[in-house]
Amino acid sequence: MNRQPRALLSVLLIGVIGFVGWRWYNSASTEQDNATEVVVSEQSTRGGSITVSLRSEPRSFNRLVDRSVPVDMFTFLTNSKLVRVNRATQELEPGIAEKWTVSPDNRTFTLTLRDGVTWSDGTPFTSADVVFTFQAIYDPRVESLLASSMMIGGKPVTVTAPDPKTVTLTMPAPFAPGLELLDNLHLVAKHKYEAALKAGKFAEAIGVATPPPDLATLGPFVLKSYVPGQRIVFDRNPRYWKTDTAGFQLPYLDQVILEIVPDQNAELVRLQSGQFDMLQQNIRPEDIATLRPLEQQGKVRLIDVGASLDPDAFFFNLRSPYWAKDPRRDWITRKEFRQAISHAIDREAFANTVFLGAGVPVWGPITSGNQKWFSPNIQRYGYSQARAKEILAGLGLINRDADAWLEDASGTEAHFTTIAYRGNSSIERGGAVLRDELKKIGIRMDVVPLEQGVVIQRMIKGDFESIMFLYTQSNLDPAINSDFWLSSGSAHIWNMNQPKPATDWEKQIDDLMVTVTSAGDQAERKRAFDGIQKIFAENLPVLYFVTPRLYMATSTRVGGLTPATLRPQLLWNAERMTVRQGR
Amino acid sequence: MGRYLLTRLAFALVLVFVVSSAALLLTRLAPGDFATMQGVDLSVEQREQLRERLGLNRSFAAQYLSWASHAIRFDFGQSMLYSRPVGGLVKERALNTAVLAIMALLFATAIGIPLGIYSGTRSGIGRSLIRVLSVIGVSVPPLIGSLALVFLAARTGWFPVGGMTSAAGIDLTWSQWIADLARHVPLPALALAIPMAAALERLQSEAIESASRERFVAASRARGVDRARSILRHAWPVSLRPVLGLYGVMIGTLFSGSFVVEVVTSWPGLGRLMFDALKARDLFLVAGCAATGALFLAAGTLIADLLLACTDPRVRAGERA
Repeated sequence: MNRQPRALLSVLLIGVIGFVGWRWYNSASTEQDNATEVVVSEQSTRGGSITVSLRSEPRSFNRLVDRSVPVDMFTFLTNSKLVRVNRATQELEPGIAEKWTVSPDNRTFTLTLRDGVTWSDGTPFTSADVVFTFQAIYDPRVESLLASSMMIGGKPVTVTAPDPKTVTLTMPAPFAPGLELLDNLHLVAKHKYEAALKAGKFAEAIGVATPPPDLATLGPFVLKSYVPGQRIVFDRNPRYWKTDTAGFQLPYLDQVILEIVPDQNAELVRLQSGQFDMLQQNIRPEDIATLRPLEQQGKVRLIDVGASLDPDAFFFNLRSPYWAKDPRRDWITRKEFRQAISHAIDREAFANTVFLGAGVPVWGPITSGNQKWFSPNIQRYGYSQARAKEILAGLGLINRDADAWLEDASGTEAHFTTIAYRGNSSIERGGAVLRDELKKIGIRMDVVPLEQGVVIQRMIKGDFESIMFLYTQSNLDPAINSDFWLSSGSAHIWNMNQPKPATDWEKQIDDLMVTVTSAGDQAERKRAFDGIQKIFAENLPVLYFVTPRLYMATSTRVGGLTPATLRPQLLWNAERMTVRQGR
Repeated sequence: MGRYLLTRLAFALVLVFVVSSAALLLTRLAPGDFATMQGVDLSVEQREQLRERLGLNRSFAAQYLSWASHAIRFDFGQSMLYSRPVGGLVKERALNTAVLAIMALLFATAIGIPLGIYSGTRSGIGRSLIRVLSVIGVSVPPLIGSLALVFLAARTGWFPVGGMTSAAGIDLTWSQWIADLARHVPLPALALAIPMAAALERLQSEAIESASRERFVAASRARGVDRARSILRHAWPVSLRPVLGLYGVMIGTLFSGSFVVEVVTSWPGLGRLMFDALKARDLFLVAGCAATGALFLAAGTLIADLLLACTDPRVRAGERA
């Protein structure tokens, strides 16, 4: 055989193999994505409008200075991120930065921005905007709420722009979550807000009174109007950079309307009557039964999103000075006392009473909703009143006067007071269940419902015996929520802002957090965090009983939904939502 | 009359100042402040920084004097919650509340007064039925009433279930916008009006029953005036005195915003704004809302007094005396 045709054949063969390989790789990647993202009712319709409820009024449209739900919703609809955590897969994925490289020391990240991305006013988006955003966050006059979360070990990230398409981020110390940090970053337009930043008026420049054309954004939607007390209307951003797999420009919807309805009952009625397509947050357990018949009639869709990331927390004040002169000091801060309480609670009954069955028993702050960090192997305290009484007896708490309550050796009754949010039905019901269950083992618990602000004030001051509380996690990665875990953290709710760890086990957690925060190897980080969860479960500074199963309710005309446990559970992917025309 | 009006105006100004000052003081005395209400998301330093920027770390006296020196020029300061001037925020919401209050007043009057006249001057099953309905109307709390109306609207589709305008509102012409508003007003207005109509009916009924027994009414009948005219021309104006007294309170209550009805029917009024401000411990916004409520109360009582003077000759005579 002649050599030339053979060479040609070889080139052809390599080409075919390469092409097939490339197609296989692409299809495999897509299959992998689809396998982890559950898209509910995909519809191909383009255009249309959906109406979503919003329970509170926006205070600002500036995510750098406000952290409320309305500004979060605004940000998800109008903002694009450099990279984002996919709420469904819980993995990092490219955004405006199409790719990135990491230096060998895991501290410098070089991001390449996509071509042709423009702000909603048509100005090209460049790396200078990223540098400007970091400048605004770190400017003390802005008092940005993102400043502390965008610092590593209290030091700012160094951000440079070698060219308009490249951004370099250098961490001041090893930071394991790496670019996940950018999931919180709301980009702001340099050409629009530079003057305001220099004048010290950056916070007001992106306010609710700012005319919509003055708000340059990068997201799938742009603000059309805000009518105070009534609604926020968003139109499709014709300059949005993202396209679907078929090459069609996203978003599919023409309009998203957020209707401000402060009352949850009124919100539900409007969903039932077809005026709303979607509710802002998960529905209450008691509303599931109300919506079931409508679901069967095909008017409403109920989506079980899974176990919530945020179970209600119950914790004692573990600041020793608070108990110094209290006769209960010998047993009330002991871990055995908390372990006895954990044994005394029937979590199944708790789930049935508090969440009407729509709850999952939990044993620590990380629930199964957090796929990457949940540890199923932590210590569990099975329901056993006998075991609880046994532990309490070991602490010297026995019934000494034949009444209903236990007493210690000095005759002090086993009792404590819990303050709880008033108006939060799960916390109020949870408090009642806890009180009744503890009564069975001879512990008197008085539940005092207080206004949310008062609970927070007393928690910050350390002026409480125990609290029932809902602590919402903003991120999945514990390194980004380190304020909760570290003894020096401002969200270390049982004993905040410690100058040095008050206990050995808190010191152990602090030490392990160093690995969680800085190790380059994910498996090593997970091992360290499993260790933290184990220590936490043994010492129980915070007790968790049940986390609710989250149910989202939508009208059946909405499609393209990708439900997730992290907020906003449905709107995080609004660009891919579709709607069937007509009601 | 001029002196009377001046006195009432001075009273209104004092009332506004006292009520807003009291609101400021009470909000300040309540546990927690605006910085605390931001939750555990703020670090200790951030919280202190916020307190300093908003002047929350100053003594109450210093804070009050600074606020009062601006308030006497009708500058109620900057809302901590919305970072906007309190005046602008209150004006937006007060207009919405005024629309609702006027409609509620009209509904309450249109329902309560005729029914009161009827039940106060007639006997039989109609009177008994009206009385029963009135007792129910007075007894049902606004929360239940508004929820019942919301469910009725959802079931029948007669009215929009909530809100002040529909989502297409911003694209409508003025006439279309007013028509849209007119579709949204009845539900919250009725929720507010029903208990008031019932109270008016009860008061009007008793007042006209008593006035009908007066000698001058009997005299008019003796002069040959027919019963209906005698009641409407002679008994009714006299019976209005207690009824108009109630209007003063009703106007003040309605115009300062009804939180419950506004929340359930998603009406963007003053009541909701004040509740949000109270929850967030936004001192200046609370004071601004309270001042507006007080102003409406003063205006309401003034209007009621003037109406009374117009309708009852004895009041005018009393003023001259």
